[in-house]
Amino acid sequence: MAELTFTPVIGIEIHIRLKSDSKLFCSCSTNTDAPANTNICPVCMGLPGTLPHLNHRIVEQGMLAGFALNCGIRHKSLFFRKSYFYPDLPKGHQVSQCDLPITTSGYIEVHDSEGKLKKIRVHHLHLEEDVGSLHHSASDGRLEGAATSYVDYNRSGTPLAEIVSEPDVSSAKEAVEYVMTLRRRVIYSGASDVELEKGMMRFDANVSMKCSDGRWGKKVEVKNMNSFKALEHAIEFEIKRQKKIMLQGGEVKQETRHWNDAKGITSSSRVKESYRKFIVEPDLPPLYISQEWIDRVASRMPEMPDVRANRYVNDWEIPQEVADVLTDDKNLADYFESCVSSGANPVRAAHWVRTEVLRVLNEKGQKIADFSIKPEVLAGLVKRVDEGKLSTTQGKEVFDYMCANNSGIDDSVKALGITEGGIAGNALNDIIASVIAANPDVLDEIKSGRDKKGKKLKFLQGLVMKETKGQAKPQEVAEAIAEAVK
Amino acid sequence: MELYELNLHILIEGLKAKKFSPAEIFQSCKKRIDQCEENIHAFITRTDDKPQSIENPNGLLAGIPTVLKDNLCTKGIRTTAASKILGNWKPPYNATAWEKLRSAGAVLMGKVNMDEFAMGNTCGNSAFGPTHNPNDISRVPGGSSGGSAAAVSAGYVPFSLGSDTGGSIRQPASFCGVYGFKPTYGMVSRYGLISYGSSLDQIGPFARTVQDLQLIMSIISGHDPMDSSSFRNKDHDFTHSEDVSIKGKRIAVVKEFRDFTLDAPISDAIKRTIKILEDEGAIITEVSLPVVAKYAVACYYALAMSEAHTNLERYDGVRLGYTVKDAAGIKEMFERVRSYGFGAEVKARIIAGTCLTEPSRCEEYYVAATKVRTLIAQEFSRAFGETDFILQPVTPSLPGKIGENDEDALKGYEADLYTLPVNLAGLPGLSFFTGYSGNLPVGLQLIGPRWSDVSMLDTGVILERHLGSPKIANGGVK
Amino acid sequence: MKLTSEEVNEIALESRLLLNEQELAGAVRYINTFLDKLDCFRELDLKDVEPFSFAEALECPLREDKVIPFPDNEAILHESEHVDGSYFKVPRIMEE
Repeated sequence: MAELTFTPVIGIEIHIRLKSDSKLFCSCSTNTDAPANTNICPVCMGLPGTLPHLNHRIVEQGMLAGFALNCGIRHKSLFFRKSYFYPDLPKGHQVSQCDLPITTSGYIEVHDSEGKLKKIRVHHLHLEEDVGSLHHSASDGRLEGAATSYVDYNRSGTPLAEIVSEPDVSSAKEAVEYVMTLRRRVIYSGASDVELEKGMMRFDANVSMKCSDGRWGKKVEVKNMNSFKALEHAIEFEIKRQKKIMLQGGEVKQETRHWNDAKGITSSSRVKESYRKFIVEPDLPPLYISQEWIDRVASRMPEMPDVRANRYVNDWEIPQEVADVLTDDKNLADYFESCVSSGANPVRAAHWVRTEVLRVLNEKGQKIADFSIKPEVLAGLVKRVDEGKLSTTQGKEVFDYMCANNSGIDDSVKALGITEGGIAGNALNDIIASVIAANPDVLDEIKSGRDKKGKKLKFLQGLVMKETKGQAKPQEVAEAIAEAVK
Repeated sequence: MELYELNLHILIEGLKAKKFSPAEIFQSCKKRIDQCEENIHAFITRTDDKPQSIENPNGLLAGIPTVLKDNLCTKGIRTTAASKILGNWKPPYNATAWEKLRSAGAVLMGKVNMDEFAMGNTCGNSAFGPTHNPNDISRVPGGSSGGSAAAVSAGYVPFSLGSDTGGSIRQPASFCGVYGFKPTYGMVSRYGLISYGSSLDQIGPFARTVQDLQLIMSIISGHDPMDSSSFRNKDHDFTHSEDVSIKGKRIAVVKEFRDFTLDAPISDAIKRTIKILEDEGAIITEVSLPVVAKYAVACYYALAMSEAHTNLERYDGVRLGYTVKDAAGIKEMFERVRSYGFGAEVKARIIAGTCLTEPSRCEEYYVAATKVRTLIAQEFSRAFGETDFILQPVTPSLPGKIGENDEDALKGYEADLYTLPVNLAGLPGLSFFTGYSGNLPVGLQLIGPRWSDVSMLDTGVILERHLGSPKIANGGVK
Repeated sequence: MKLTSEEVNEIALESRLLLNEQELAGAVRYINTFLDKLDCFRELDLKDVEPFSFAEALECPLREDKVIPFPDNEAILHESEHVDGSYFKVPRIMEE
């Protein structure tokens, strides 16, 4: 009997916090770091009698994020009420576009196990409000075992985009590439900063297994992953778990499981999910988006990172690996392109940004926006090295000096005592003359012909090279000294 | 004549002419309340213990006392929706409609009774006990805005606000013998109105003359950014001074309603009113509303309950109102709070609403009802191509005795047939006084196309001229 | 009867309502009578009818993205008996 093989079938739901100053349906600040329950108002607290009022900018952020996922925008979308009881949900229902979302379908490209490009289809993106945040009294800060919980509603009503994929993902690795690529593209679009450490991106995965013998396991929804690592490990764990059940001839139960990050396992959720049909939100008329508005927002879309990287490779012959690094952060790529447009050779500039700039940023823990050397200045430095006015070593010394002292190129060159283009001609002859003058006995020895092996000549050359701080060419120094001692 | 007996316009003129002061009006109304309240029980919360400061002494309503239905949020003043579940909740904000009245100088005498969360048509379904009809205290004042209607009828205040989801302004106005107006959906901001059926709810005024309704509408109507269903760019001049006429206006009765049984005083009132309209030059016609007649009641309750159960999900005891502090878990806390906090009728409607929107039944009931609603709106739209207004009863019968119909709530629903189609189509409706049958007032209703509010009230002025204005009810005082 | 008392009780629990025997019996009667009344919808051909959304074409109004802090969050907290410090404290969420 042939060995059984299993193909994981994975769909991913992502919640991303969209960037805005005020909340989705009220004018409270979206700053969730504020002291607990200070950014709240009657609307986001769901007080009786209050009504929602949609934020214009968040609609545009939803459109931008949709464009980043190659989605279309619907001319008419609706809000619904999604009911469930939970203390972090003030109205007892979440207002969400789940049934008629702002975008149509789209896709994100990832590499499959053979390294080929593969499309992960995005079913849609929709707008919805976030819930409050819970803090648990259990010693490990987790929900289970906590006798009491504390609710902070600062996050209640902050805007989310929920992005639902088709079940096109086949491995944990693809899943991670999908969410990383998606994140990068959304950041590029300006729809969100997606700061992971602030919990601005959360994942749920639907995992099922297809067996080569024709069996198809039930779908398991795995919830509660808040990092790329958690997503990867949760999917890996679930694949292994389901495979084992199916290998033993068992049946995978359709259920919701929670990822326990500390233990590294998924466990059956004890919270019963109620699947209620959503009623239309009667307090919000349909959201109509004209073609003209769509076009206007679309015109703000920047070039996406993968397109940009390809352009670097094709137009400027920058290695793919370097291009990927440069385009990972939109601001870094912008910086690099400013260098190039200021006249730096693209390949050299790419190299400088990739090695020197990133090294300094890492050392200082800075972002490119805070970097002291402006791109046109770096371009100038790269050019001087390129033209041979500075050696590569000198260029790096100058770069470091500029970073440390916040100084310009010329000042740094001067402070470092560097003579651009090296020391030759009269300058060199002057140094030689002074060296000889300081060593009359050596000159005598050479002139007397006793320096048969040329040791004394080499000694003088050494002294001269030292005086020029290595900025003279050794061949020229040797010839000039030979001439001078004649 | 006592000051409390004066209508709003007379009071405003008298204040302007300095015939009396706001303090004198306040004292007169307060005295009247003290005199009758034991019999009527209109209040949930009284705020007339001392004269309130007048927000705007130069406002149109400076010093005019009023009361609000207790589902309108009042900052710092207990707001209950007549439910135990709201406990002693003091809203941190004002409903827009109240804010507008307050800014015009109105003085709040208190918050008045209603059916819990506006679910009911007797004002007997309140956690605070029933309100009595000031014309006959053994009878219901109607509901759900029974307290607002009774307060105006008994002379507590010259005008009040209520809300109308399926007839909750028009029916109690008719039962208590005052004018009640349900504006076009979107005309008055709902911000701060505790929701029952959000797509049906609308705030409106009660008064003892149509002219007074016009004045209040001129203050509370208009666009509010806080209510996304409130309409922009709609200017309505309720207090225009042109002379109005209904000559040539078409006024229809509904064909399908012709054979329905009505109490004799109500059918007599229709005949009398038609005669007056004809004498004034109106053309009396007939329109056909077959879908409305047959399906509106079912459609209305399906939608009202579907929306209501989601509107009531927020009452869980965490953030406000009644709660328990010794629950072992959150589910237990929610269950205990909601089971104790909601009354029987509200619970029944929550369960019905939840049931209708369950995935297995949603298409058959909730979605079907939203489609029937479309047909109803279209049917009205066609009818108003053939007529300017429709004249019909408010209810098929005069107010019943308190406690009479408590056994079978669903039976009471059928009585709403004449009022609730108006809410389904978002139309305006005016409940007007036609006279008395014994000591009980008899009201009728005009309904019109969307945004016909101004001309509807103008027509009301003409009817009032011929039918006479109501007098202040005795309030159980011999 | 469309719904048994077990089913009605299930729905009640989903709405976080505990009914005593009498209330449950009343609710069962109420729901079933009500559902019977809704059967009339089947007489209508609703296949091509659009669900009603608003009484006339109304667009969702949009608000400028501007922060306007609510002046009195304390007044909101003041209304809850579950406030502990600046948080709302609630009992055990996970059931044992």
